[in-house]
Amino acid sequence: MSFLDYDFMQRALVAAVLTGLAAPAVGTYLVQRRLALMGDGLGHVALTGVAIGLATGWAPVWTSVAVAVLGALAIDVVRAKGRASADVALAMLFYGGIAGGVLITGLAGSTAATLNTYLFGSITTVSADDLWVVAVLAVVVIALAVGLAPQLFAVCQDEEFARVSGLPVRLYSMLIAVMAAVTVTVAMRTVGLLLVSALMVVPVATSQQLTRSFRTTFALALALGLVPSVAGVMFSYYVDVAPGASIVVASLIGFILAWPVGSLLRRRRAASTANGEDPRVTGAHVPAERHPHQHDPECGHPAVEHDDHTDYLHDGHLHAAHGRHYDEH
Amino acid sequence: MRAAVVDVRGLRIDLDDRPVLHGVDLKVVEGEVVTLLGANGSGKSTLVRTTVGLVPAVAGEVRLFGTPLRSFRDWWRVGYVPQRTTAAAGVPATVREVVAAGRLARRTLFRPARKADRAAVDHAIELVGLSEHAGRSVASLSGGQQQRVLIARAAASEPDLLVLDEPNAGVDHRSQEAFARALRTFVASGRTVLLVLHDMGPLAPLVDRGVVLDSGRVVHDGPLPTPSMTLTGPPDHHDDHREDYGAGLFG
Repeated sequence: MSFLDYDFMQRALVAAVLTGLAAPAVGTYLVQRRLALMGDGLGHVALTGVAIGLATGWAPVWTSVAVAVLGALAIDVVRAKGRASADVALAMLFYGGIAGGVLITGLAGSTAATLNTYLFGSITTVSADDLWVVAVLAVVVIALAVGLAPQLFAVCQDEEFARVSGLPVRLYSMLIAVMAAVTVTVAMRTVGLLLVSALMVVPVATSQQLTRSFRTTFALALALGLVPSVAGVMFSYYVDVAPGASIVVASLIGFILAWPVGSLLRRRRAASTANGEDPRVTGAHVPAERHPHQHDPECGHPAVEHDDHTDYLHDGHLHAAHGRHYDEH
Repeated sequence: MRAAVVDVRGLRIDLDDRPVLHGVDLKVVEGEVVTLLGANGSGKSTLVRTTVGLVPAVAGEVRLFGTPLRSFRDWWRVGYVPQRTTAAAGVPATVREVVAAGRLARRTLFRPARKADRAAVDHAIELVGLSEHAGRSVASLSGGQQQRVLIARAAASEPDLLVLDEPNAGVDHRSQEAFARALRTFVASGRTVLLVLHDMGPLAPLVDRGVVLDSGRVVHDGPLPTPSMTLTGPPDHHDDHREDYGAGLFG
């Protein structure tokens, strides 16, 4: 008897396909924005949502969407303010999410086993109602990630430039946060809340080993999310492990396999462009920090001749006079 | 009389409650190339960031093309080159993809790029001399080439005003030459440029007027100052301590 004859298995596979596509689609933008860990934090926050569902008897899918979206908007506001303490504020939100989840679940009398199915996924628990919600949400997320690709790309590539292009950057920024929150909920039954972030980030990391354009990185990441998701769910059918674990291990294996291929590709590309422009004449203009004296032959810092001028070795940095300040050379 | 493209009046800016600009006036008219000069911390970068709406003003007014910044919507008319050391982000992107982002101000949501959009992107890439690198990942380019990518991105919307924040910082000579050429082409069609420069390099012959800032105030506005002043701006901390540098031997 084939595993496809079981209704629960059909539902689990459909959920795996949708999750495998939606998570890397949003993940590409998060990685581009250097917010790779945001999915992780949202997974923690969504756990409180699940617990509220378990305690109240409302569908955990909806309560977790609601709480994760609120968490995502809070994260985005804190990030946009850009205060130095933002980092710590986010950490506290994440701890609060997971602790709140465990606490509320305990008070509601649910068992650790129930909680586990949300933390690491479970192929037998995707109900038909859940599947509808998951499908609609996933399709919306994927459609937005593809349809708004030029705008989201611009915002994630260079936020300030996007603002001067007249794009509503705050709105797009919140949209990405909300899409990430929704994806966390979509992925909750398959890969689980604790490992959802891996499915957002690992396929993108694998993909960019091999690609040089955003478009191919995005497309390949979707494929690299889909394959381990389906494979992981099937593995969990034969071997009784949480599907989250098998999905993430499968996608990490993909990364490890891609690595040597990627470094070979990069070496070959570098060799083919070596006859272009001389890389030695480049390098960022980095002004040295203010310091209270002028470098000269008597200042005590060793002098180093550098082409047509003199650098001075100062605390392990080479300083070169540039106008009235010093540059790092 | 030519129309004012950038018109800044009595601008006051505070960053983190610290005053950075104190009542600055700046006017750039159509077809002019104006450069802002000054030492680090003189406020020149803040001034250009305010004119493109990235920094809110405490007091004063900024007008672009005669429209107050608050109600300005024609952002395709402004090409902005932010101060960056790289054009790359967390995911690979080709030169063409990054430059195409500059065309968004002219595009409609959910509509694919039209032929005119693609032609403008190609033209912008050609302007900075990177045509044969258009399909390469920006992260694999040199610093100077990446800077040229940012300039091409700003040019892709075919703007009437280019605003550049230290486009020459850390750029190799070859890229500076390519940039000077691109700017000459741009200015020749009667368009306007406002740029912040640390040193003029090959751009000097293009610049009509220099505005020198010192500690948040305009100290010179007119034809270019003498070459030594142009290069260095007003004296800064290295001069303040000229007498006592012996004391800070290992500072």
